[in-house]
Order: sequence, then structure tokens, then C-alpha cells
Amino acid sequence: MTVDTTEARPIPTADWVTIPDLYADPYPIYQRLRAQAPIHWIPAVNRHLVIGYEACHAIELDQQRFSADEAQSLMKRSMGHSMLRKDDPEHDAERKAYGGVLRPKAIKQRWEAVFDRNYATYAARLRAAGPGADLVAEFAAPYAAENLRAILGFANATQQDLQRWSQTLIDGTGNYADDPDVWAAAERSSREVDEAIDEMLPALRAAPDGSLLSVLGTSGMPLDALRANVKMTIGGGLNEPRDALATTVWALLSHPEQLASVRAADRWSDAFEESIRWIAPISMYPREATRDTELCGMAIPRGARLGVAVGAANRDPAVFTDPEAYDVDRPRKPHLAFGGGNHFCAGAWIARASVVTIALPRLFTRFPGLRLAPSRPATVGGWVFRGVLSLPVHWD
Amino acid sequence: MPKVVFHHSGDAGTVVDADPGSNVMRAAVQNGVAGIVGECGGQAMCATCHVYVREPYLGALPPVSEDEEEMLDCTAAPRDDRRSRLGCQLTLGGDLEEVEVDVPEAQL
Repeated sequence: MTVDTTEARPIPTADWVTIPDLYADPYPIYQRLRAQAPIHWIPAVNRHLVIGYEACHAIELDQQRFSADEAQSLMKRSMGHSMLRKDDPEHDAERKAYGGVLRPKAIKQRWEAVFDRNYATYAARLRAAGPGADLVAEFAAPYAAENLRAILGFANATQQDLQRWSQTLIDGTGNYADDPDVWAAAERSSREVDEAIDEMLPALRAAPDGSLLSVLGTSGMPLDALRANVKMTIGGGLNEPRDALATTVWALLSHPEQLASVRAADRWSDAFEESIRWIAPISMYPREATRDTELCGMAIPRGARLGVAVGAANRDPAVFTDPEAYDVDRPRKPHLAFGGGNHFCAGAWIARASVVTIALPRLFTRFPGLRLAPSRPATVGGWVFRGVLSLPVHWD
Repeated sequence: MPKVVFHHSGDAGTVVDADPGSNVMRAAVQNGVAGIVGECGGQAMCATCHVYVREPYLGALPPVSEDEEEMLDCTAAPRDDRRSRLGCQLTLGGDLEEVEVDVPEAQL
């Protein structure tokens, strides 16, 4: 890979792209941009948006040229400086401190039983709400939140606290409009999380329970880093399984033939992986160029703020045939929904266990005739974080 | 310079040179060897750099760590109790100047 910038093309500007349009549906915008170049300057979001698969993948694998430690990061302001905005070796040391908490062995020994109980609780809530209920509000969101609460070890908080903390901290991370009310809500949540951590740590040091707080509390990680990492995990550990679950259910209910094929052979993993390729729950994340460089033949200046649009990369026709379609039968190729390289999603196996192993097969067996509510279509929205916002369903 | 031979479906093999201290996954990714993904960049986290090490080299391998052990139960292609390893955990150089591996049919 060359870093010589003499032959590189300049990056075109796309001043017609707006944040409301991206929120409503980014995919037609990506199609139009893709016809011109894999990287564009988008004034509305103040970033160089990288939409090509090859370019996004190259960035993920090269932290020398493309740093996660972005200057003027809204995430750092909202959540503190977590490992998600650090490069190795600092990132690596903090990542190692998570130990085995989110890995398959702990999932089997500890978390699957928790997911199982939480499924029962929130499936009962959905059933009680009755046909026509919103599967996101009545099931996917509280299920994801309660799973996360247990994994983190917040015995002193509720799933509602987790939902509020997660949303307000994420809103701060995306507060490009610098709205003071958004900052106030994020700061309030940040204080509440700090207090909850301070209360739990002594108890967990006295009686370790295998939760993330318990493991981090004895890891020697400095308190600011611990707090920032816990907030990042609250932000990144709730919306993503919630949205992956709701989007997969919506996709399957909208494609009955594919649902039949998935049910017949228990292909819940295929349904899930294709769903997060199709609509990546985290569709964009930032990087910063550390030097003048070249990427896919385009010149990137030192200090450039990049938006790595994995949601666009996942629909790059150079990699995926008929990429706009949801198709569980497409040949398996690596999608970028979990990111790649050293920042590969630490919660990937948790998401797969809670959604693929537990929630999807149970919902579709225990709610016979599960179907979309005929008169109230699902709503979908979001750009940086995208998913099904409401999903009214019926069953027999 | 260490070298790795990657066999696909029992073919004659593709020979790749690697830097000392590199590993089997990195050697594959840097040289565009098909069938090795390496999604997580070498943290024993994704199980997409699964390889079957050929018999003559099994004695020269480092022991399987706890992280690698659990990840070998998550591979897309069946695990072989003796030969399955994660390429990212096979550091080249020292006892492992050369290794031959079979690339599984699937990583995802």
C-alpha cells in the first residue's frame, strides 16, 4: 500500500448531503456517492465520509495512519476517554482488562442462563401487551438492557436506568448541533453512572461475581478509564443487540419465504449476520488521519476527520451482489458491522448468544403466526445508529 | 525468513514469506491468501483465521491458550482436535521457521 500522495486524486465535496436525509434513509445517498468516488467531503457532518468496502477495511487495519484517538471527540466529552478512542498499546491494555467476561466460555457458563431468564420476563411482557404491541419497546429494548445490566454488574440499577443512560450518553456522542439540553442530559447520566460504579466497586471487590465491573474493579485500571469504558459499554452494548434483534425480526417478517427457510433449518445465525450486513446498527465511526496519505487513490490530508461508513461498505456492490436486498442465501462474506482489526466488537459473541441462540428461535416458535401489524408499518431510522424504531406485531 | 505454506482443498500449496515475529494469520492477510479472514486483527476473538496444521509441524507449535481453546469451539468448519489452530496464535520464527497448513472450507 502506497503512502505517496503525488498521484492521488482530490476528494470531491458533496454539499447536497444533509443530516435529516441521512437519518431518514442513507442508502440512496450512498448509491449516488458511490458512483463518483469511495471518499467524499461532507460539509454537513464535517467529515470525510469513507463509503467503499476496501477503503473502510484498510482504515480498520491501519492504526498508524488512521488513529481512533480523535481530537475534539464528542464521545470523549460525553463518556470520557474510553479504549474505543485509543490506539494500541493503550487500547490493548484496557481491552485485555475485560478478560473473559464477554467471551464464549463465560457466555456458556454464566450469561446464557441470564439471557434465558430475561427472555421469559420480556416475552411475558410482550404477550401481556397483546397483539398490536411494539416489539421494540415491549421486548427488544428491555431484553437488551436487562442483559447488559447483568453483564455489567449493576445490582443497584434497573433496566430502565440502563436504557436512559445509554440513550443520553449516545445522544451526547452525536451532539453535532451542540444542543445544551443534550449535554445536560448526558452529564446527568454520566454522574449517575459514576455514582453507581462507586457504590458497586467495594461490594464487588469483597464478593466478586464475574460481572464486568467486578473484573475491572480488580484489574488495576485507573478509575477515569474504568468509568469511561463502562460508559462506552453502556452506549455500545444496548442499542446494538436491540437493533440487530428488531431489524432481523422485521426483515424475516417482511420476507416470508426466507423466514420459512430459516425456520426449517434453524438458520438464525444466517438471518442475523445478513441483517447486520444489510442495516449495520452502528453505521459510522470516526478516525483521524495521522499524516498526509493516500487511500484508494485519493489524497487524505493529515488531521482529516474521517467517517468510516461501514453501513455503506456493507452494501458495496464490488463485494456483495445485489447489495440492497436482504438475502439469507447470499454467499457468506465478511461484513464490517462488528468493525475489524483491533477494535473488533468486544460484544460480538454476547450479541450472537442473546439474539441468535436465545431470542430469535424462541420468539418465532413461542409466538405462532408472528406477523407485521397490517395497518401500522414498522418505522426505521437513524444514521450513525440505525435500526427499527417501532415494530408493531400480531400473533395468533 | 520464516515461511508458511497454505493448502486449499489439498492443492500443492501457496508459499508465503513472513517476517520473524509475524504470525500465520498476518502472513495470509498481507499476502491476500484466500480463505483466511482475521476479522479481529489477532486477538483470538473471532475464529476466522482457523487452520489445520499439517502433522510434521504439530510438535513445534506453542501450547493452546485458554482464549484460543474457547475460540476453537466457535469455528465455522469442524474442529480437528489435533490439527485445528488459530493462525493468529501461531507466531513465526524460533521453533516455527516453517509451517504447512490446510485452509478450511469456511471461516464464516
